[in-house]
Amino acid sequence: MARRTAAAINGALAELLENEDLARTSGLLQGLDPRTRLGTIALLAVTVSFLHSLPAIVLVIAATMVLAAASGVSVVSFSLRVWTTAGFLAVLLAAPAATGWISPGRELLGHGALSVTSPGLLIATRLMLRVVAGAGIGLLVVWTTRWTDLLGALTALRVPDVIVATLAMTQQQIVSLMRTVENIHLARESRMLSLGTAAENRGWVVGRMAFVATKSFKTADDVYDAMLARGFSGDWPTLRRLRMTARDGVWALGLVAFCAMTLGVDRLVAR
Amino acid sequence: MSEPLAVAPAFSLSGVRQSYRPGAESLCGVTLDISAGEHVAIVGANGSGKSTLLKALDGLVFCSAGSIQAFGKPLTEDSLEESEFRREFRSRVGFVFQDADVQLFCSNVADELAFGPLQLDLPEVEVRERIDEVSRGLRLEKLLDRAPYTLSGGEKKRVAIGAVLTMRPDVLLMDEPTNALDPRSQVWLLDVLAEIKREGRTVVIATHDLSAAEESCDRMVVLSEDHEVVADGTPAEVLAQRDVLLRVNLIHEHSHRHDSTTHRHPHAHGHVHPDE
Repeated sequence: MARRTAAAINGALAELLENEDLARTSGLLQGLDPRTRLGTIALLAVTVSFLHSLPAIVLVIAATMVLAAASGVSVVSFSLRVWTTAGFLAVLLAAPAATGWISPGRELLGHGALSVTSPGLLIATRLMLRVVAGAGIGLLVVWTTRWTDLLGALTALRVPDVIVATLAMTQQQIVSLMRTVENIHLARESRMLSLGTAAENRGWVVGRMAFVATKSFKTADDVYDAMLARGFSGDWPTLRRLRMTARDGVWALGLVAFCAMTLGVDRLVAR
Repeated sequence: MSEPLAVAPAFSLSGVRQSYRPGAESLCGVTLDISAGEHVAIVGANGSGKSTLLKALDGLVFCSAGSIQAFGKPLTEDSLEESEFRREFRSRVGFVFQDADVQLFCSNVADELAFGPLQLDLPEVEVRERIDEVSRGLRLEKLLDRAPYTLSGGEKKRVAIGAVLTMRPDVLLMDEPTNALDPRSQVWLLDVLAEIKREGRTVVIATHDLSAAEESCDRMVVLSEDHEVVADGTPAEVLAQRDVLLRVNLIHEHSHRHDSTTHRHPHAHGHVHPDE
């Protein structure tokens, strides 16, 4: 278990590096001003929340895949990441809505409160697809934007200082805590004479979670002190000059048109 | 507008007490003046309050009793609320943390070096000049595009120092600067400190590495395990007080056996016995 956890943490750290490299490559989204990217992608996310018909939501999901491919992101790893994390969680969350207990109606499978009903299945599928579409949109922004650019764009878009500061500390915190957890597991592995029972391992993990939670507060204080010591005042200026070009304008117009078209499709299908 | 900050002394501490929780003081009545241009080593065993003292000098923790003056003005939570004072203070005092990991929070080394100057609203051309100068001086040119968490311990330390040097502070506070550095990096760091000394800047380092303190500083302040200043003088004067250093756990006595006789003599931490 310790070895598996340490390996998983190493994998996650390696992925962070790959994401940073990906954000530096030239691609459709990477070529846009971060403010344009953030603003228009946020508009797409808001649009998804207004969609009711499944074809319209699927259209947005398909669009995120096209955008991923045009930005040099592997569509396979992008889809896997979205469906295995957000998709899986969405299925768990949406499953009760598919039952006759929450959504009464024509029963498709089973009987009574636990049956899967026709309106329930529609609601659950819509919920799941919305989550997947939203997660895909979010992932696209994170994978194609350098962390400092993202913070710079948030500052430029007048996002409150407290949110920018919190986000600024997040990545460093996560990396620092992952290293801590990795070392904890390796230290335990080095002192273990037997594999331990599943119950022992579970108890140990719970105990260490409490330790890591306590340590995270200390690390947060330290990182914030380090930011203050270097004059942090809430803004996150960046050396890369944020400059909008005609390309940003074309992109913004195109995306607004796409959102309008998707809403139109949604209304048409709803009729 | 607040009046310009005076040139000297850089810091003046009077009866400073600090505690993170009631009944557990980390500084007990510290009184100290640090003049501009001085290179001071705060030495003491683990837990003696060295890091807390540096944080207090940087306005990151505040004393529960006593007072601290920085450049002739009181250094308090309230004074740091004044944007004029805060800006000037932060531009004049740089802090290199013991754990470089917490200090490096940007996505790459170039951003890390630019963070401080950008916070000072310096023009982009000047920020780039400073990055070039510091990255050349600290041999960071090849690391500029790297994410900080991919660097080795020594490289992180260099970036952490560089990130502070780009702000060109008058006073440099360094917490255990030689900690976790290999011998070559330690020599490099001592060279950097010598260069900073030639430039006339003030340096305060907290360390329990007596040899590094002796080599890089012209004054040593000893904190006891009771968090009090127990010695203050030139390195030669302080290092001559063996009984004090033994009492505060900065040196320890070793027993050695040579043939049939055993003798004891003090060692500084990290000392290599001449017979070895």
